[in-house]
Amino acid sequence: TICVIINLIFLYCRVSALAVPFPSQWEASIAVRSLSPDREPRKGGITRTLSVTENILSVKWTADEARVLRVAIASFLDHLALVMETMDAFGQSVPQ
Amino acid sequence: MTIVIGFEGSANKIGIGIVKDGEVLSNPRRTYITPPAIADFSFLPSETARHHRGAILTVLREALDEARLKPSDIDCVAYTKGPGMGAPLVTVALVARTVAQLWGKPLVGVNHCIGHIEMGRLITGANNPTVLYVSGGNTQVIAYSERRYRIFGETIDIAVGNCLDRFARVIKISNDPSPGYNIEQMAKKGKQYVELPYTVKGMDVSFSGILSFIEEAAHKMLSSGQCTAEDLCFSLQETLFSMLVEITERAMAHCGSQEVLIVGGVGCNLRLQEMMGVMCEERGARLFATDERFCIDNGAMIAQAGWEMFRAGQITELPDSWITQRYRTAPHCLTLRMITQKTPNAHC
Repeated sequence: TICVIINLIFLYCRVSALAVPFPSQWEASIAVRSLSPDREPRKGGITRTLSVTENILSVKWTADEARVLRVAIASFLDHLALVMETMDAFGQSVPQ
Repeated sequence: MTIVIGFEGSANKIGIGIVKDGEVLSNPRRTYITPPAIADFSFLPSETARHHRGAILTVLREALDEARLKPSDIDCVAYTKGPGMGAPLVTVALVARTVAQLWGKPLVGVNHCIGHIEMGRLITGANNPTVLYVSGGNTQVIAYSERRYRIFGETIDIAVGNCLDRFARVIKISNDPSPGYNIEQMAKKGKQYVELPYTVKGMDVSFSGILSFIEEAAHKMLSSGQCTAEDLCFSLQETLFSMLVEITERAMAHCGSQEVLIVGGVGCNLRLQEMMGVMCEERGARLFATDERFCIDNGAMIAQAGWEMFRAGQITELPDSWITQRYRTAPHCLTLRMITQKTPNAHC
């Protein structure tokens, strides 16, 4: 089972950052490449940056409104959970 | 030998199919069904995405098990790039991207409409048909010309399936197995034709006026007993399907086509197939239609179109694998059919 610790930091200026440790850099890289291609649905008002350092996936959001930020983060967490479940269920086939 | 796994989830159905050189090895599917009249648009994007997230890994396991394959047997992963509802498309694309990386396989983003067409061609053996693509989200008349699928006519507002679905909600028909199917069953008992607007516009069609008209008629005529719900279902089908037959025939005449292929969920409707069949018979043409396994959105159709694209050398790089809610049929697949083209193109 993938062990996940999520650190969520909300700042007053509507910036949010998330750090997700993965068991390995390989898994973190797979996750970021799966999560990166789709843009935020809203045309403007929010930006998102994804990056990987070793086994840590980092996300940073900047939004004009707290409401937009909250929706984006909730959606991202759903997507992240799905990617993790997929790796957990189908990842054993190909060893790192 | 090429084996492709396809992921489809652009609307309320989540399906994963596996195709090997023209053979469908597995094609499990789940449908998100909401109670009748729950909302004007029956399944909302976020709720649909939630359903798909809950089902997709189970369906994926089923697809592999039914096909008796291991991930290492798969050559390519195909998924619906668009068009469709945003959140469900993303859900499916995430899993496709992830397994493509886990298994070390190339990824192909497929146009949903072309998935329907290619599966229709595979299953029916139609070679170069005029295609009527009719579903809850799309209504188009398409023909293949100069290496592209080209849209000759289409709806200028709502899809024909959307019109039927929303009428079903007005008279509170069940959504199970689908509102369109239930309208079809009720229409068989209709006895009286109620005149409705007939809005063909050259090669295009419009359904929003018909929907508004019959919504108002439903309230008036049902409460006064002038007609039954079955009569309205019958009348709506006769009007909508006649319009579809007309624009299809016009495209056939324009292209000199001798084949018609109906794809998409509304293509399951036997009355539509019957009416189209009559027109084809009178023109000396052939009608092709698939059954409900492939008419309705499914993973195998994405795998089949993905198979053709992969064999033609078309791959989608991960950074380019974003989904798009709008994805026109025409710009797609420049080199598609290099492999499968059997006769010269119909000259349009």
